[in-house]
Amino acid sequence: MSDKQERIIFDVAYQPQVRTDMDTRRIMINVMIALLPAFGVSIWQFGWKPILLVIASMASAVFWEWLYRKLMKKPSSIGDCSAALTGMLLAMTLPASAPWWLPVIGSFFAIVVVKQLYGGIGKNFLNPALAARAFLIASYSLKMTSWSVPNSLAAQVDGVTMATPMTYLYGGQTMPVYLSMKNMFFGMMPGCIGEISALALLIGAAYLMIRKIITWRIPVSFIGTVCLLNLIFGHSGYTNFEWMMYNLLSGALILGAFFMATDYSTTPVTPGGHILFGIGCGIVTVLIRYFGSYPEGVSYAILIMNLCAWAMDKAFRRYQFGVSKEDIAAMKAAKKEAAGK
Amino acid sequence: MIRSFRGGVHPDYMKAPQIPVNVVAPPPQVIIPMIQHIGAPAKPIVKVGDYVTMGQKIGDNEVPMFSPVHASVSGKVVAVEQRPHPLGEMVMSVVIENDFQDTPCTDLQPLNEFELKDPDAILQRIRDAGIVGMGGAMFPTGFKIVGGYGKVDKLVINGAECEPYLNGDHLTMLTFPEQLLKGIELLRIASRLDKAYYGIEVNKQDAIDVLMSHDPAKYGIEIVREKVKYPQGAEKMQIKAVTGREVKPGALPSGVGCNVCSTRTAYAVYQACYEGKPCIERIVTVSGSAMNQTANALTRVGTPLGYLAEQCGGFAKTPRKIVLGGPMMGICATSLEAPTIKGTAGVLFFTEEEDKNVDDPTCIRCGKCISVCPMHLEPVFMYMYYQKRDFEKMAQYHITDCFECGSCSYNCPARMPLTHAFKTAKIMFQERAAAEKAKLAAKEAAK
Repeated sequence: MSDKQERIIFDVAYQPQVRTDMDTRRIMINVMIALLPAFGVSIWQFGWKPILLVIASMASAVFWEWLYRKLMKKPSSIGDCSAALTGMLLAMTLPASAPWWLPVIGSFFAIVVVKQLYGGIGKNFLNPALAARAFLIASYSLKMTSWSVPNSLAAQVDGVTMATPMTYLYGGQTMPVYLSMKNMFFGMMPGCIGEISALALLIGAAYLMIRKIITWRIPVSFIGTVCLLNLIFGHSGYTNFEWMMYNLLSGALILGAFFMATDYSTTPVTPGGHILFGIGCGIVTVLIRYFGSYPEGVSYAILIMNLCAWAMDKAFRRYQFGVSKEDIAAMKAAKKEAAGK
Repeated sequence: MIRSFRGGVHPDYMKAPQIPVNVVAPPPQVIIPMIQHIGAPAKPIVKVGDYVTMGQKIGDNEVPMFSPVHASVSGKVVAVEQRPHPLGEMVMSVVIENDFQDTPCTDLQPLNEFELKDPDAILQRIRDAGIVGMGGAMFPTGFKIVGGYGKVDKLVINGAECEPYLNGDHLTMLTFPEQLLKGIELLRIASRLDKAYYGIEVNKQDAIDVLMSHDPAKYGIEIVREKVKYPQGAEKMQIKAVTGREVKPGALPSGVGCNVCSTRTAYAVYQACYEGKPCIERIVTVSGSAMNQTANALTRVGTPLGYLAEQCGGFAKTPRKIVLGGPMMGICATSLEAPTIKGTAGVLFFTEEEDKNVDDPTCIRCGKCISVCPMHLEPVFMYMYYQKRDFEKMAQYHITDCFECGSCSYNCPARMPLTHAFKTAKIMFQERAAAEKAKLAAKEAAK
């Protein structure tokens, strides 16, 4: 038998010999797919402008990533689609009235400054899309806060721009009738292009959870904390439940909780860390909304908690398999005794 | 109730239990390595030119942690020399030219009625028949049972067969249910226990039904249904699912009063005691993208891998990789001339199709490795400290508790070589410990 066969050199690859199909690239593409319902709603409400913004943002993000890696003589990394996703997420946080060059500048900041300068995918400690949004708000505050009137409300609202629900809620004004909870749930409200429809975002989030790309821990603890605190503290002029629902449906909370706060690189990796991160995001969001000069707290809350992610991972060390409760108690007792001496 | 453990992955199972067992014609030459168990290697007790019968003992040793080796065909010994071992390296092997007579050896006779109830007789037979953990670990079964005396109160039989591709256990359950139950009964008697627990994943419902129809309670066996999840068949996970007990880090299963034996081991015990047949053949699943077809082949120990592939339908494409065992924990063989051994549950011939490694893997900190680790470790940090060679931190993150199931690597979207790194790190820890010991010894000597 050995005479007939030519000698083959066999690989000695390390175990396991099989691997899941869900690689980095596929995860990124899946998140983009999950954003499509929200993108669709924005086209329904704002016409062709969101399309232009998303294309400009994604194309420029990929371009910056390619250019940086090329100039630095590093292997190209646009194939993992993470730059495209960053571009899409950034576009989702812009108002529909934004000019096309705004995301181009924003994606430069996101990709080159926030991500690549720290070593590329997995090494950045701030969410690139949100950091770019913060940068754009600081630099072009007027362009970032003029909210187009959505198509469904064009009959009720005069002019081309209008205030967001957050402005009404925290500006002490009463909520106009056309900003009902139902309208806000389906996406008939002003806001950045990705945030307006809670329903579309929840469909996308459900998709991500079914594909096991995100877990419930960060979004649920985040949203839960925001809801709980709003329910407890409330606001004059609203019943506590109404207040909570308005806070839940506006201010990009759902977009932030499911798509931004679940970014892999910039959030903790341990299950305990996830919960702590979500609760922290919720508390900071509520604090900014109540006491900050700027009503939209979600993006800053996430950025602030991003900076704490590393410490949170260290705070929640798991005990390995086989360590029982008694063992942990014994370990703690021994430690105490050692400290006492 | 379906039981399980926390963590784990769901790989593509690729199983084909519907393919009936085909008997592979014994090869013209068998190569029988003297290392087919954990412990001291056997010493060949035959010379070139000797005539051996099928089942004759050809490798022996006197140490306690040991298992003898038997001829799997009858014929003439043509060589006693170093040959490639399937798990790498060259190993002393006995090469037998097959005379195709299969003249049986009469050394081992079926046990009589009384001996079948006597723990000592069964134990002696388990040792004489060279039975080892046939799930792949190849731990001498007799040694395991004796080690459990006084400590073990639960005998667990592993019927999870959680590795993808492999069908041997499933087919054994379907084809020889009564023999299998008798084999488990013998293991139970040898362990001096009243009850054995048989953990089977529920994807083998047909096998569970067949076994139930043979009244396992009569043999003192309780069947436990388990969730389909890898690595359900790992010793510690099996114990957790069946008894709810958790083996302490660094301890043996007997520390929580459990011993685990595989399905195929139980069947081998049946054959040894009721038929007087030593451990010389087993079902090997031959599959993979390089093969024309999948086969569940009843194969003699010592069959060269190339011959086995030829007999099972031949290659469709040139294989790039030979995997012995399942794809998750299996080890690569480097030669088609290497033989199958007692622990070979599967031989998989893979092409590039299965190879998903990338050149420059970058961790994206998704934390998926943490959620799947059945030992509740944190592979992402273990790998980070491994890259820095920070041994103190690695120990703090319990890297030595990793049993290399491969779940983290399997699930890693960035294709990080996690399991491989931990395996290397564990070897480095062993080397460091050895060096430390040597240093101490040198110091003692200097005094």
